Amino acid sequence: MTNLTRRGLVKSGLGLLAACGLTSGVEAQRAKLLRFGLSAWPPNLQPWVSTGASAGTVKMLIHSRLIGYDRAGNLAGELAESFGHEADGAWVFRLVPNAVFHNGEPVTSADVRHTIEQIGGERSTAYMRAQFQSVSRIETPDARTIRIHTKEPVATLPTWFGNYNMPIVWRGSPANEPVGCGAYRLESQERGTSLDLVAFDRYFRAGLPRIERLRLVVYADENLRFAALKSGDMDMIEYVPWQSMSGVESDPRLRLDTQYGPFMDILFNGTKGPFADARIRRAVAHAVKREDIVQAAFFGRGRPLEGVPIVEGTPWWDAELSKGWRYDPAEAKRLLAAAGAPNGFQTVMLGTAQFGMHKDTAEVVQQHLAAIGIQCELRLPDWSTRVRLGTTGQYEIAIHGVSADNNDPDGLTVIMDTSLSPTHGRSFGVQAPRTIDLLARGRAEFDETKRVAIYKDMQRAALEEVPLVGLAWRAQGYGMDRRVTGFTNIPGALSTSSGFMLTETTIA
Amino acid sequence: MRRLHARLALPALLILSLVVIALAVPFLGLPNPVRQDIPNRLTGMAPGAPLGRDEFGRDVFSRLLWGARTSLFVAFTATTIAALAGTLLGMLGGWFRGVAEFLSVRIADVILCFPPILLALLVVTIMGPGVATLILMLSVLYTPGFVRVAYGEVLSTRNQDFVTAMTALGATTPRILALTVLPNIASPLLVQYSLTLGAAIVVESGLSFLGLGVVPPTPSWGLMIRGARATMEQAPLLLLWPCLALTVTILAFNLLCDALRDAFDPKSAASVGTRPRPRLVDRFAPGLFPTRADSGAILSVRGLTVEIGTRRGVIRPVDDVSFTVGAGETLAIVGESGSGKSVTVTSLMGLLPAAARPVAGEAVFEGHDLLRRSPDQLRALRGARLAMIPQDPMSSLNPVHKVGDQVVEAILAHRSIARPAARAEALALFRRVGIADPERRLDAWPHEMSGGMRQRVMIAMAIANRPALLIADEPTTALDVTMQAQILDLLADLRRETGSALIFITHSLGVVAEIADTVMVMYAGQVVEQGPVASVFAAPFHPYTAALLAAVPQDDAAPEPIPGAVPPPHRFPQGCRFAPRCGHAQPPCGEAQPLRHFGNGREVRCARAGDLRLGRAAHDA
Amino acid sequence: MAYLVGRIASSVVLAFAVATIVFLALHLVPGDPAELLLSTGGISPDPAAVAELRERLGLDRPLHVQYLGFLTGLLRGDLGRSLVDDYSVAAEIALRLPRTLELIAAGTIIALAVGVPAGTYAAVHAGGAFDRIMSGVMALLMAVPVFVLGTLLILLLAQTLKLMPAGGFVPFWRDPGQHLLLLSLPALVIGKGLVAIVFRMTRASVLDILPRDHVRTARAKGLAEGRVLRAHVVRNAFGPVLTVLGLHMGSLLGGTVLVEYVFNWPGLSTPLIRAVEGRDYPMVVGIVLTVSGLFLLINLVVDLLYAALDPRVRAG
Repeated sequence: MTNLTRRGLVKSGLGLLAACGLTSGVEAQRAKLLRFGLSAWPPNLQPWVSTGASAGTVKMLIHSRLIGYDRAGNLAGELAESFGHEADGAWVFRLVPNAVFHNGEPVTSADVRHTIEQIGGERSTAYMRAQFQSVSRIETPDARTIRIHTKEPVATLPTWFGNYNMPIVWRGSPANEPVGCGAYRLESQERGTSLDLVAFDRYFRAGLPRIERLRLVVYADENLRFAALKSGDMDMIEYVPWQSMSGVESDPRLRLDTQYGPFMDILFNGTKGPFADARIRRAVAHAVKREDIVQAAFFGRGRPLEGVPIVEGTPWWDAELSKGWRYDPAEAKRLLAAAGAPNGFQTVMLGTAQFGMHKDTAEVVQQHLAAIGIQCELRLPDWSTRVRLGTTGQYEIAIHGVSADNNDPDGLTVIMDTSLSPTHGRSFGVQAPRTIDLLARGRAEFDETKRVAIYKDMQRAALEEVPLVGLAWRAQGYGMDRRVTGFTNIPGALSTSSGFMLTETTIA
Repeated sequence: MRRLHARLALPALLILSLVVIALAVPFLGLPNPVRQDIPNRLTGMAPGAPLGRDEFGRDVFSRLLWGARTSLFVAFTATTIAALAGTLLGMLGGWFRGVAEFLSVRIADVILCFPPILLALLVVTIMGPGVATLILMLSVLYTPGFVRVAYGEVLSTRNQDFVTAMTALGATTPRILALTVLPNIASPLLVQYSLTLGAAIVVESGLSFLGLGVVPPTPSWGLMIRGARATMEQAPLLLLWPCLALTVTILAFNLLCDALRDAFDPKSAASVGTRPRPRLVDRFAPGLFPTRADSGAILSVRGLTVEIGTRRGVIRPVDDVSFTVGAGETLAIVGESGSGKSVTVTSLMGLLPAAARPVAGEAVFEGHDLLRRSPDQLRALRGARLAMIPQDPMSSLNPVHKVGDQVVEAILAHRSIARPAARAEALALFRRVGIADPERRLDAWPHEMSGGMRQRVMIAMAIANRPALLIADEPTTALDVTMQAQILDLLADLRRETGSALIFITHSLGVVAEIADTVMVMYAGQVVEQGPVASVFAAPFHPYTAALLAAVPQDDAAPEPIPGAVPPPHRFPQGCRFAPRCGHAQPPCGEAQPLRHFGNGREVRCARAGDLRLGRAAHDA
Repeated sequence: MAYLVGRIASSVVLAFAVATIVFLALHLVPGDPAELLLSTGGISPDPAAVAELRERLGLDRPLHVQYLGFLTGLLRGDLGRSLVDDYSVAAEIALRLPRTLELIAAGTIIALAVGVPAGTYAAVHAGGAFDRIMSGVMALLMAVPVFVLGTLLILLLAQTLKLMPAGGFVPFWRDPGQHLLLLSLPALVIGKGLVAIVFRMTRASVLDILPRDHVRTARAKGLAEGRVLRAHVVRNAFGPVLTVLGLHMGSLLGGTVLVEYVFNWPGLSTPLIRAVEGRDYPMVVGIVLTVSGLFLLINLVVDLLYAALDPRVRAG
């Protein structure tokens, strides 16, 4: 592995080192039980199919990925002891030596290859299917080495493996019983109610996990979930409702850990109606007072998002660009007039009443658009109708809420690349050629400095082409008892992947 | 009726004001209910926003009133559509039967199979939420109710005389339905309408609460509660107002529905708390009427007066009644319906309805005044020393218990013996009262027995504890003639065997001669004549007695019915109560008459007793 | 007997009609189970993956083929498998239904335990203070929507006073005490409307029975007043109460949705709502069929019970 880059080597095994540091010296004394309040019952636990963040949390605990993230949100090897790219653009991963599956079989490069082939297979329903279908060749020179060649060079390939829908599964697994190598085994489940996980004693990261047993209890109702934390029924909950965050903070027994990751945005139909005109879309972008959304929908637990959703503090973030769509009703009216609609027009805004934040955001946006003359009637069907109408382009303007795949700007591709096949989470048929082109260039560029420049250009292009309008970051919070230690909410879009941190968490 | 109107007034007034508010709300100059003021969100009461502002800074008071408009609009529209469609379908189904019946009623049945919320869920997912969907869904949901009501009412109306008459006169079907059937089924439909209105508001708010109803930002109570639930801790009052408005509105509709139902259905009105309040039985100073020891008398009643408080004032169905029953003797109390016979004996048993109470007199039974015994003491006597055979054996047995058990119950109520022993006694009693196949009949249900047989059961029950006094309240009226004779024979036999005294109430003098020693004739709550049977029958002193005798069918003369009827207690005449119906009335009869003694145990309440010659002979003359 | 057979036959036909309507209606609803499943959490799925999943779930077949498949399954007593996690619909129902029934049963017991004595007392002392107050309270109970009462109870008892857990479920075999504690609040809320109904019906019924001759007979026998009320009044008044209760039990089955939602009680309603939201067709149809079938069954049982309570009906 002489031709591994320096960067790859530096990155490797951070999580592992951290874990060793925590358990050094003393023979790990495991805590008995942690009770964790989930926000939804995982629809299923199929490893590679995306069925939401709650399922993702469970999957990250009972499986292991090739690559994970450290507490700061940097890529870190999980099953990969080290990784890096070669001059020709191929990525090489080297596995840890001691990993075994729950059935005792060692984790080998053949298992990784099997996983990739399954995901990229023709009949795959996996979330990362499209990405892995661009893999042209997989080499496994020995049991611990995997070399992956893609049709086009991909600078962000390791992030693919960091997705929570990317567990490495034993190649001999029966069809519906995937065997994983995670820190926990699924011991039992009370269908629809709770899951009991028990520590896997041959987990490859020494001294982990630090809690013998996790009981994950589903509290779908947010107020109830908070009440369960407050009353001590739960040691920790995910997705603290915004209105209850101050309640967690003010309780001396509890601790709140929030990050701004997911965000609300406006999507457009670019194939018909007034919003096909980029000037009208920009008018919308300048018309909405973001602070109102932060207050009304998120009880102040959010941040205005007046540009392309790039996480603040990352190299690609730019103070000026992040205000590119600042609230400016006069500018909005000017753009409307320039587009030939000085007095506005009537339209219907799509949203869903099933989720309060979508509904609340829609109500505020409706109010502000009315102020510049765009009169929206709200259409708020249930979520599944909303999805169907979105995918089939049966709307003119829509409210959406989403999280990028990761904090790399490439994670925005699924949200901003309107040339991809239509889905409910992207604008429908909006023309944004420069943005899309710059996203592709950034993906293929391995040089860090050049990538930063490309993505700043991408932001400039997007501010003009408006494939979406950012509205507000929303706080993603974990609430926990102060006796719970070792858990960190990972910044930005990775917040929903923080469930993995439970493998390093303990409770006094 | 006035109380009913009072009950209607409150909810009607509430609903009327709601409707007025809903109609007038655009003209009240309220702040725009959808205008947001986010910097001032969740602020409390302030000038310009009397109930504060919600999570978007909208005026809660304004939203509350506009919410009434939304709720009522949805409820009234949906209910009206359902009422029209359902009534039409139900009427067609009920009138034409056949295919129309199948279509309307079966479809209604299918809809009724869906739990309402589920149906709502399905319709909302198909159509998307919104006021139009809500109205459609609620209409579909409530149509079957109207179909059922209209269908049922039409079925029962279509065969009534006036409908048949119209059909015979050649009226067209729509005309008949519209002119005769519809007005007749209008009241149950109106009740259904008010019921449905309330229910529609509940479902509308529930669906809006779930986010499946009214689309924001339209003000709606359900949506307001949904919104306020999230801010429950910061601003609990926000939750309170719409909850209050919703609850009061639904309450008003429920009350309206109840009142309407009572107004249209007198049967249920009677049962819904319009009875006068029961009072504690007044206790009179003991010794006011000193006990006169009648030697040999088992029961001695003096000056018994019973009052009933009614809305028209206090009435006295029994007024100053006195009589004596010797041990082993039979007293017959005779009189037309309404003369106070039954009230007299029920007051002795302590079984008067709650509103009635004995206000004067005494009734000394075995040395104790029955009217002044405590309820517990009376209960210990009832069914033991003092037993009663009721008028109607059909209704006097509890239909949900086996007859044998009911007799056993009577035995066990007064004697602590083992159940099997009591059952053996019941068997003997059944045999004694002449019930064939007594072993099997012990386990029969009341409805499996004939009237005569049931009366035998009642008699068995009455004699179970060997009473000293048996009160038979027209025990044969409900039976056919052969049965009457058998039961009378049985009573006579039993009396001879057990030696118990008997009070026998009847409205016909025919049976009196067969069974009684003395007779007491009552009219309009008073004793008008009493004395030994033979003497009274031979020469009645009171015109009423004579009239009763004349009314008994004899082989040689046609019975002469007494003209007129006993006046109701609140219209008893001032003087002689029989005077208005009496052929012999003269001026002195306008005065109240005392009971006068005539020797040989005869007593008469008549101004002209003595100078009149009455009885069958007198009529013949 | 012929009556019973007829009743059962018509119930089966009705249930079948319901199943068909639900099946067809659901497929008309916009929304694609495959797309939805892969969109969980607002994620944008790869359309190729969606198409693949559709095919795998058999959703690409024409509607009449799917309907025939559903019917043949139904005839074999097979309700199919969930589109979301391939779990047997019948097993899911077998797991969830007892919890919903437990909730309803507990609510009914509360309603009877409170409603019958209170209704009887109010009737015996009709017009008295107790009667007036209770009638008012009951009218209020009828009028308070379930979700309002549930929310307020949680706020008061769980969050403010911390006397009760905020909701949830523990299997009885694991912790009987906790199980009953968790059951109490939702059962109370379920029971509140029923209490009012039972109270009103008992009161009206008792008022109707009290002046009847057989009650006088019972008193004339010298029975103690309590015995008269129990054996000769309440027992007779129970028939109408039971009928009305039965009618409402049916609608309770569907009406537990809000209560289970508010109290996080994992009964049949939660998967139903989730299945409708996620367009999990076999699950929705299976649950609706079960609920409607039970609804019909309850009505049948109420009729039979009514007969058992009133021997006259049994004979007729």
